[in-house]
Amino acid sequence: MLNLIKYVVLLKMCWQDGLVYRMSVFMWRVRRFLAALMSLTIWVTIYQSSSSGAAHFGYAQADMISYIFLISILQNLVMATAIQGLAQDVYTGAISNQLLKPISLTAYLAMQELADKLKNISAMVFEFIALFLLFKPELLVPSSSTLVIFVLWALGAVILNFCISLLFGSLGFWSPETWGPRFLFYTLMQFAAGQLFPLDVLPQLFQKVMYATPLPYLSFVQTQLFLEKLSPDEVVRHSYTLLFWIGILGLAARTIWKKGLRDYDAAGR
Amino acid sequence: MSSTISVTNLKKHFKVYKKQPGLWGSIQSLWHREYETVKAVDDISFEIAEGEIVGFIGMNGAGKTTTLKMLSGLLFPTSGETEVLGYNPWERKPVFQKQFSLVMGQKNQLWWDLPAVETFYLNKAIYEIPDAQFEKTLSKLVKLLDVEDIIQIQVRKLSLGQRMKCELIAALLHNPKVLFLDEPTIGLDVVMQKTLRDFIKAYNKEFGATIILTSHYMDDVKELCERAIVIDHGKKVFDGKLQDIIDTYARNKILSLTFSKPISKKELTEFGTLKEHSDANLLYTATLLVPRKKATAVASKLLAKFPVVDVTIEEPPIEAIIREVFSKQQQKSAKK
Repeated sequence: MLNLIKYVVLLKMCWQDGLVYRMSVFMWRVRRFLAALMSLTIWVTIYQSSSSGAAHFGYAQADMISYIFLISILQNLVMATAIQGLAQDVYTGAISNQLLKPISLTAYLAMQELADKLKNISAMVFEFIALFLLFKPELLVPSSSTLVIFVLWALGAVILNFCISLLFGSLGFWSPETWGPRFLFYTLMQFAAGQLFPLDVLPQLFQKVMYATPLPYLSFVQTQLFLEKLSPDEVVRHSYTLLFWIGILGLAARTIWKKGLRDYDAAGR
Repeated sequence: MSSTISVTNLKKHFKVYKKQPGLWGSIQSLWHREYETVKAVDDISFEIAEGEIVGFIGMNGAGKTTTLKMLSGLLFPTSGETEVLGYNPWERKPVFQKQFSLVMGQKNQLWWDLPAVETFYLNKAIYEIPDAQFEKTLSKLVKLLDVEDIIQIQVRKLSLGQRMKCELIAALLHNPKVLFLDEPTIGLDVVMQKTLRDFIKAYNKEFGATIILTSHYMDDVKELCERAIVIDHGKKVFDGKLQDIIDTYARNKILSLTFSKPISKKELTEFGTLKEHSDANLLYTATLLVPRKKATAVASKLLAKFPVVDVTIEEPPIEAIIREVFSKQQQKSAKK
């Protein structure tokens, strides 16, 4: 029982800490809201400027708006924000405090991340109600079995993204130059996770390249599942692939962190 | 007595990038970088018994903090063995981590944007401190360090001294058996330094805690530690009683004299090295350095020969003795 209490207290602390700077919290949410608002507006404009009712890239306007609306919600949930600066914390020795305490560093970071997500969710509810009223996406709630798989896949995406963040964080053990690779990755991720447009509008070759990476599993396949665009075979295949990526990247993060901690020099601490 | 801390042939070497100065150096570093190995800790061994307070003395970069980081499991040693309370610190077992604390004067574990009391409650949960023990320890520490009024205030709004007191509370809530204190009094005024020293002494007495203390303030070491370990360039150059350092390295004693009438410099230099001579405002004073073994005899001679009003014989300040230790070490290294 005591073991669980420490995580609950930590979660509450992280949440409190995240709410100290109200203006930052507010501006962050405005940024995320505007990103979703712009994306939806652009697609509405594209459809309205062309001949009435025409489909683009195989998507009718209603499908595209539903897609962008859904993926915006998912990306708000999945993408890490709390531990984006992990590499910097490693390089500057700021993680020493956690390493000295009888608590797992991974659990500590996970609580930070969870607190951040809970904070985002509470704000997101109002934002997406506003977006829903503005754009009126035609969202049909899928069957209960699909809904269960969707929740599991979304959870998988959160874990997958956490593993990727840990891997980027480990760069701090060996180099202060962590900003460049991270920036490149996040730019690629915006594109490859389907944030701007559905990946299936791309040529087959590009799609194949994308599916050879874990990026579509960060929110694209989940959205496709919710919109019931996947066949049962594809659902099974994507389930295994998502598990595979979580396993591989989780193992890689564990191994690299183990090695990194041996090289850790706790600089400045 | 069994050892609480045992260190055997401990080494920690770092690979450090050496940048050439200037813009051209920065451009060159894009394709070619030179690295050198820094021996932060170089083959040191020592044992510390339960309840001892040991002072780690050394210049900046001597390897003191690196040693403490290895003893607390933050750094993986290049080679050698460490054992604290029977555990290998590097394994970072929770059962070990619940029994020690590392306090660093220049960094803190307190959550910067929240009141200190929040960190105390978090530590209570992390260290799994029972309610009764937590309440008892917290109220005692808060009273001892006189911080009742500040623990509810955001940490970033506290003064350095107030923060340091709260740091100590956060580090001691779980009643650690081993305490690593790295410059705990750095930046504090003399009154606050004294308060913290008294507190550390009281904690050692009450809990029988084993303490390693590093400090640039020799008063900390003099007042708290009977034993000192001197480190220079990663090597241990002395390990023993503070008094033994004085006996080994202090060649002279200081004779401070006050005369009733002026005495010339020439007359005094016959007795030793004249460090200070003054006859301002009709106050005739002089300070002489004389060989330790002859100090009493020289004082007697001075008393017999001159109209001495007052005489004191003192050991040189510990800082000067430590400087002597280091300069001897440097001379030795230069000869090699």
